[in-house]
Amino acid sequence: MTRGRATFFVAAGVLAIPAVCLFPFLWMGLSSLKSARELYAVPPTWLPHAPTLENYRTVLFESNVPRYFLNSVIISLGSTGLALGLAIFASYGFARFEFAGKRASQAFVLAAQLLPTSAIIVPLFITLRVLGLVNTYLGLILVYMILTLPLSVWMLTSYFRAIPVELEEAAIIDGASRAAVLFRVTLPLSLPGLVAVVVYAFVTTWNEFIFALVFAQDSRVKTLPIGIAEFTGEFNTDWGAVMAASLVMTLPIVLLFFGMQRLFVGGLTAGAIKG
Amino acid sequence: MIRVARLAAVGALAASLACASAEPGREIVWWTPSWGQARAEVLADKFEAAHPGVTVKLEVTVADGLPTRIQTALRSGSPPDLIEAQHAWVVPYAQANLLQPLDDVIEDRGDFLPASLEYDTWDGRLWAIPFRIETHALFYNRRMFREAGLDPDTPPQTWPALVDAAKTLTRTNSAGRRQYGYAITGGGEVGNTLFRTLPLMWMNGGDIVSADLSRATVNARPAVEAVTFYADMLTRHKVSPPSTLQDDGLAIRRLFVAESVAMYQSGPFDIAPIRRENPALDLGVMMLPTPTGGEPAVALGGWSFIVPKDAKQPGLARSLVRFLAESENMGYFTDTFPARRSAMALPRFADPILENFKKMLTYARRLPAHKNWLQIVQVYFDHVQRVLVGDVPAERAMNEAAIEIDRLLASP
Amino acid sequence: MTGVPFVLPALAVLALLILFPVIYTGVLSVTNEQGVFVGLANYRAVAEGRLTATAVWNTVYFVGGSIVFQVVLGTLAGIFLNQQFRGRAVLRSLALIPWVVPGIVAATMWAWMLHTEFGIVNHLLTSGGVVDRSVGWLTDPDIVMPALIAINVWKLFPFVALMVLAGLQTVPHELYESARVDGASFGDEIRHVMLPQIRPVLVSVTLLLMIWGLNAITIIYTITRGGPANRTLVLPIYIYRQAFEAFAFHQAAALSAMFFVFSLVLVWLYLHAFAAQEGRP
Repeated sequence: MTRGRATFFVAAGVLAIPAVCLFPFLWMGLSSLKSARELYAVPPTWLPHAPTLENYRTVLFESNVPRYFLNSVIISLGSTGLALGLAIFASYGFARFEFAGKRASQAFVLAAQLLPTSAIIVPLFITLRVLGLVNTYLGLILVYMILTLPLSVWMLTSYFRAIPVELEEAAIIDGASRAAVLFRVTLPLSLPGLVAVVVYAFVTTWNEFIFALVFAQDSRVKTLPIGIAEFTGEFNTDWGAVMAASLVMTLPIVLLFFGMQRLFVGGLTAGAIKG
Repeated sequence: MIRVARLAAVGALAASLACASAEPGREIVWWTPSWGQARAEVLADKFEAAHPGVTVKLEVTVADGLPTRIQTALRSGSPPDLIEAQHAWVVPYAQANLLQPLDDVIEDRGDFLPASLEYDTWDGRLWAIPFRIETHALFYNRRMFREAGLDPDTPPQTWPALVDAAKTLTRTNSAGRRQYGYAITGGGEVGNTLFRTLPLMWMNGGDIVSADLSRATVNARPAVEAVTFYADMLTRHKVSPPSTLQDDGLAIRRLFVAESVAMYQSGPFDIAPIRRENPALDLGVMMLPTPTGGEPAVALGGWSFIVPKDAKQPGLARSLVRFLAESENMGYFTDTFPARRSAMALPRFADPILENFKKMLTYARRLPAHKNWLQIVQVYFDHVQRVLVGDVPAERAMNEAAIEIDRLLASP
Repeated sequence: MTGVPFVLPALAVLALLILFPVIYTGVLSVTNEQGVFVGLANYRAVAEGRLTATAVWNTVYFVGGSIVFQVVLGTLAGIFLNQQFRGRAVLRSLALIPWVVPGIVAATMWAWMLHTEFGIVNHLLTSGGVVDRSVGWLTDPDIVMPALIAINVWKLFPFVALMVLAGLQTVPHELYESARVDGASFGDEIRHVMLPQIRPVLVSVTLLLMIWGLNAITIIYTITRGGPANRTLVLPIYIYRQAFEAFAFHQAAALSAMFFVFSLVLVWLYLHAFAAQEGRP
């Protein structure tokens, strides 16, 4: 019975997940191969009758998308790196220590994420202007800390807590400093959690629109979401180009994750059981 | 003009650029939307050639989030020197003390469409220079007219005739496709439906608010009749497609292009997309039908040049505006029609399909300017949607709208 | 050594970024357009606003409805993707797609697919004989919010799956083995081994979803703008409208402050209810 139930579950998942997740994505991919006339046909067509690579030509050779792709990579990598670095330390502090003001600090970190974007955009802009960071990579990377750091800290704290303290205590008794313990014991064991945080931070900054729109002003710094918005004219969206550009924007992440997801294996060996 | 409620705010480049550039005082920053970028570059070069030592830096903006971007820049203390903004935003910006007056930038005001200058005027001063104007007319599919037994050369001119034609055109055609006679908007941004209902009120002798902006008139008989006429297209006559509540101007154009809809109201900016997406479509343009015995009226749309109060180069900015407002440059730059009569004579405006659009311009009116106008129309639109949804009849909805609008008119 | 040096860098960066915005918003909320101090006038105007109550209720409906399904479906997906089977790597990557597709693009695509007239969904449903008439996914006032919730669930359940998958990696193999020795079925394994182990993760994830949901503006704004007839108006859209479409900047600031407090209270209540997990070293 166990095997049967498990198999059914697996089979259902194999069918359901691609169908649900893939359907719009497939639609997006098929649409990127259609000409403008076919895109707006009523009733809609599923497969393109006259497939064309025109949209990709527009996106790759006649738009700013390649340059924006580079900018997005730099900014997302930078934000992810900075957020990861800050979050690793902060989460470890919250997970393993008690200190005065800990509750307040945790609340403060979380509260930073609760501020409505519309409210903070003007003052953030003024802040960046004062720091001379408008229209720079660093400016955007810094601002993205508001979007990535609080949740990264929160998530990583719970992953760190899930690792039994006994493993660390063994190393401490051996004379290692807390920082050394963090890097030699905790981090390797929390690899899946780290990967999850990296993916979260990267995806969040990769897709972010409104901050990039306000704080990045020319093509030296503009990012991919703005590139997609540039295909929308006043009364017209070059829908085929938007679909093609979206594919260009989405595929790298999917491939990246495909490469990284083998890190989602293991479990705790080393013989330590909780409780 | 209707779809561009989403606009981007771009931070002020000026501060960091001013520090970076070698020669302070000779560069101006001009924000221009992406759809006019090529033409803006040509004009910027022309201006630089005529003003040696001056550099015009073009910042290209996108439609998404533009109001946010502009407002952020205006309020940041470090905005660009010249921005293109829709007429409707000018007075609210001026009232929030964010702009410089531009009275002395043009001398021959008589050459401009009066409604366009009125739009940019407040408290006795001119706060922007209009360069682009447009209005709606009624697009119709001549082949679908013929197939339904109607004469495409004598389109309906009155409201009753429009309803009759729409009903005749709502049928299942010979190929088995369901078609609708007259598409209205019920979704998307407020402007879509505002521009299609407010003129109906005007034609019928009513308005959303009184001329002196002291009280709401949206629940007076002429206005209620107009809203009823509009909503009936969906709720009673069923000549508008069931998707109406999610349709904006772009959606109904798509339905028109796909020949699912025989008539719809929109501006001259739709001509190029229609021709591109369905070259075989036999396109006709008619004047907006009026109530029996009434006069046409239509809302004015379009764009103006504004100079922020905190612009770093006000003198140069005014020069640039004056240059761009010259007849030949304006005629070249505009996407639809120029605000100057003299520029209208240019060859590019001679396409016969533009005839009725040009005629409609003479009936163009500006929208009222009240500090809370945007909230007022949001309230109005919410209640119109309730009528379209079928929650309440028009009269009750407009009565309830009037209460809130009165409160908004009175609040400081 | 205390934990303070560990947490200080992150706190400092955040403080640098948000202190000024908080003060700015606070000052804006108690002044008017002329810069005059007006006390609580803006707050009162907002509280009495016709749409404030609607926005609050819609926000609770949208966030609550989304979270339930995001967590349930995401957990099931995470458990599923943890199993051994061929093609697991591919499926894991595919499952991520909804979350990775840019928000505006996904929203516009869904709006297009769900269009009553030229949407592919209605086309497939009617030509497949499943329904006789096109469904008004985004025009029927009773269906529109569930439709938006469904899109929001589609968009975010991969994130939950990802977190659950990461959390499941910390489950010691021994626990599975001892459960099987005891004769547990797969369902028992889920209930007694996996779920308890990933409880901290689920608590965290739900909190994150709540925070995201409270600030989620893209999907609803792109698809319905909060309509029809404000059926889908949520607080972030209301704030955005006040600030940037109605030029009521000061009222928007008051509304933001109230919304911030509202979110804080919700989060605090949530943490308090699940605080059992907190503070244990």
